[in-house]
Amino acid sequence: MSLASSIRTIAVWEMNRSMTTMGRSVLPLAAGLLVLLVLVTAFAAQSGVHMQDGMYRIGIDDPEIARIVAPDSRFTPYLDSGAALWENRFAYDIVILQGEVYAADTDKGRAALKTLERDYEGYVSYVAAGEPDLFAAYPLWIDLEYVKSEIDFLATQSGQQVGAPAEAGRPPVPSGPVEAVTPPASAMPVSEETLREHLADTGSSHALERYTGVISGGSTMEQFRTPSELSAPLPFDAIILVFVFIFPLYFTSQFFMMSVMNERVGRAGEALLSTPVRPAAIVVGKALPYFTIMILIAAAITLFAGAPMTILLPLVPVILFFLANALIIGMTSRSFKELSFVSIFFSTLATSYLFFPTVFANTHVISIISPLTLVVLDIQGDGFTAMEYVYSTVLFFATSIILFYVGITNFREERLFSQKPLASRLADFISAGIGRDHPHLSLFLLAGFTIPFVFMAQMLTLVLFFNIPMPLSLVLLTVSAAFIEEFAKSIGLYAVARERPGFLTPKNLLLGAVAIGFGFLAGEKLLLFATLAQITESIFGSVLFLSLQVLWMPLLLHIAGVLITGGFLLLWGRRAYLSGLVVASVVHSLYNLYFLMGALL
Amino acid sequence: MKRRNIGLIAKKELLGLSSEKTIVFAILLQVFIAMFSSFLMVGLTAMYDPEAIEGYSTIAYGVGYAGADSALIDEFEKQDDLILHRMDLSQALAALRERRVSAVVYVPDTPPDAEEPVMVTLYLIQNDLQSSVINVKVKEVLQGYEKELREVRAGRMTTFPVSLNFPESGGGENFFEFVYGLLIPLLVLLPAIVSAALIIDLITEEYQRRTLETLMSTPVTFAEMVWGKVAACEILVPVQAGAWLLLLGFNGIAVDNAAAILLHASAGGLFLILLGALVALHYRERTSAQFIFSTALVVVFLLVMAIPYNPLNLMVRLAVDTAGPVHWPILALVAGVAALLGWAVTAYARRVGEGVTA
Repeated sequence: MSLASSIRTIAVWEMNRSMTTMGRSVLPLAAGLLVLLVLVTAFAAQSGVHMQDGMYRIGIDDPEIARIVAPDSRFTPYLDSGAALWENRFAYDIVILQGEVYAADTDKGRAALKTLERDYEGYVSYVAAGEPDLFAAYPLWIDLEYVKSEIDFLATQSGQQVGAPAEAGRPPVPSGPVEAVTPPASAMPVSEETLREHLADTGSSHALERYTGVISGGSTMEQFRTPSELSAPLPFDAIILVFVFIFPLYFTSQFFMMSVMNERVGRAGEALLSTPVRPAAIVVGKALPYFTIMILIAAAITLFAGAPMTILLPLVPVILFFLANALIIGMTSRSFKELSFVSIFFSTLATSYLFFPTVFANTHVISIISPLTLVVLDIQGDGFTAMEYVYSTVLFFATSIILFYVGITNFREERLFSQKPLASRLADFISAGIGRDHPHLSLFLLAGFTIPFVFMAQMLTLVLFFNIPMPLSLVLLTVSAAFIEEFAKSIGLYAVARERPGFLTPKNLLLGAVAIGFGFLAGEKLLLFATLAQITESIFGSVLFLSLQVLWMPLLLHIAGVLITGGFLLLWGRRAYLSGLVVASVVHSLYNLYFLMGALL
Repeated sequence: MKRRNIGLIAKKELLGLSSEKTIVFAILLQVFIAMFSSFLMVGLTAMYDPEAIEGYSTIAYGVGYAGADSALIDEFEKQDDLILHRMDLSQALAALRERRVSAVVYVPDTPPDAEEPVMVTLYLIQNDLQSSVINVKVKEVLQGYEKELREVRAGRMTTFPVSLNFPESGGGENFFEFVYGLLIPLLVLLPAIVSAALIIDLITEEYQRRTLETLMSTPVTFAEMVWGKVAACEILVPVQAGAWLLLLGFNGIAVDNAAAILLHASAGGLFLILLGALVALHYRERTSAQFIFSTALVVVFLLVMAIPYNPLNLMVRLAVDTAGPVHWPILALVAGVAALLGWAVTAYARRVGEGVTA
């Protein structure tokens, strides 16, 4: 059989099997639950969400005023005489006496005050909306225009705000070119009727409308508001949408994970392994239906939302990444509970890596490390360039391909059906990639292949730390980056030491360290072509990619790190692995900090 | 049912969890989320409220002002953290693009008492966290201006709202409502969901690995075995939720009535775990059971959220200490529903058990 036709056979078989196990008993109940879901959603929409009811206590001496807060369930109002209220004022978060508002001097009191202010604005607008002369009630209209501006890491480097702290006195002068702008017209381009409708609408607006408005692009009316309608523009609108895309993908990858796991439960996959089909065909064939389903779901959501179909492009590497990880988790977990915990852990990490940067879409270059940012940009109608696509997806493609390769190489009987603990199984998987004949070449290649994962982990730490005030964020980043690198460099050595205790002689250690150091450097260099120049040139970049300036220094550092960890392994055996790692990381961090100090001073 | 046997099974499952080191992942997950949310908080607070972090004494945002003179200028004077620069509109927009000012307003020369509205154009940086801050500050200014215009045009109005006088609020967004009204109940609920997924794993695994016969050959009955697993999962709920509350405490978020919150979490967790157990006993296969349970979970969650005085809302009220004694009967109610489910699980397990031993 050719590879393509055997892949097809496996894919068809996988579809049939999953349909029959899931089909008969699950579908009726699932359909019933879906009907229930629709009913419950309708009920929830009508009754509202009662999560934050009764958070604040408010004491009021006038029933007229009590009517203002009545619609807001966050307040529990107490009507009483002014004297009694003042007597027990500490039992309330807010007390209103004769139109004067007093708030408790606590976080809670301040939060209650904010909420009350918003409610009051709503009430004033509601009264004004009933006026016959609209422009007496609403004399001021705001035309909100947005201007694009991106910042790079330099803005946050000196601990400076991302905004523009102003000095009093002279107005700032732009350094760049100034485009001439024609001042906007002073006449209202929309009719009074439209404005009235708009005001009537906003009173009853549902929270979800904000998110659907993102997709439909909003009418021209959207940009005219009264001052009280100027709510803070949360940059999270598009992100909610992105969540809608990711959730089904995560769910479908769970099915693939289970399908891989089921091959191992009770040695069910033995029949499959005894067929003349190659492991590559088995793995790809099994993954194919799930990949197709994910693409179809994403396309359906895109159609439904009316977003451009190009948003599927950045989703492809994300889908591959989820599938690749599902494969590895399904192949390594010993039991269902381990599978659950590991997959929950993985999806939390992956989700934060994907999501957090998108919060900074249009704001900060960091956002581009997540493919989902491209989805956000695309939905906004900005699109993305081929270069941006490469930047944000290369790590996902690289890691997915490597993980699939590792999975396929290890898709064998002795690996699939063993019951070893997770860590040692992973070490087995790695040592499978180290050839007996050319251990040093294998170590070189292995070190190169760990680079995408190292970059990913380092990007995650960057995402975590970049908005913390300056000196602290640098130190945290330096230390964590060093630890990640030392760990990645040592795993090959550790795996060999486990597999073949006799291998670790001083001579072999030295050779291995040199091979790993070179491999690591080669991988870094290759991948750096594809990473973001703005990140690599920033101060954070110099922490992560010090190897840019000089070549032999980082090479020596890499080799020294491996030698330290390997030395610990050689002298005190495998129990000393962790302490070796810590020592190597400390040395590495000190080196980096020394260099940074040089760069900073 | 013998309590000793249930205890034995629970012990076996908990030992299995710790020997497999899966629990390590659960702990790592907690630490990671806690770290992540506190970093997010630190970052966002720093961006929203510069004074929250030492080293910035006062920060003022520059606003470019273009167009005709108006009372709006006096309104800006009142805000000491906004500095107004009179600029030409093109210059101002270029400065905004380079973030040398944080916002630009353009005011037309419409007289205050005109028939038509005053149309002010406000330029902000798109989709920016900082813009949210500026937006709040500029909004206050514009509202003051609106009030003034309303007074000028008051002769044309027919009704007037009740007036309230607010104290000067410190400005700056605070995350109190987000932390106490959303984060805390969700974090406390998370262990309950994880435990419910865990019971499905524990039960379906016995079926799929065909280890049931071995278990049934011991004096332990099937129902005892199920309850042992339920007990193991249930113990994890208050332990993990308690760990959350401790972590929040380390982050400087004080939670009142922690004990009562943990009781609510345990009762809700028991309900979810028993629901998971029922689904698992019915399907005996992990994929289907997890799929159905996840869907059912969404339904239950939505339904509960839409009911006033639901357990999640009670956790919020307890956390901010506005609950009152009303939460005890509701706790009893949830526990009662869980007991009913428990009875159903026992009956089902007995029926299955007879089938297994027969």
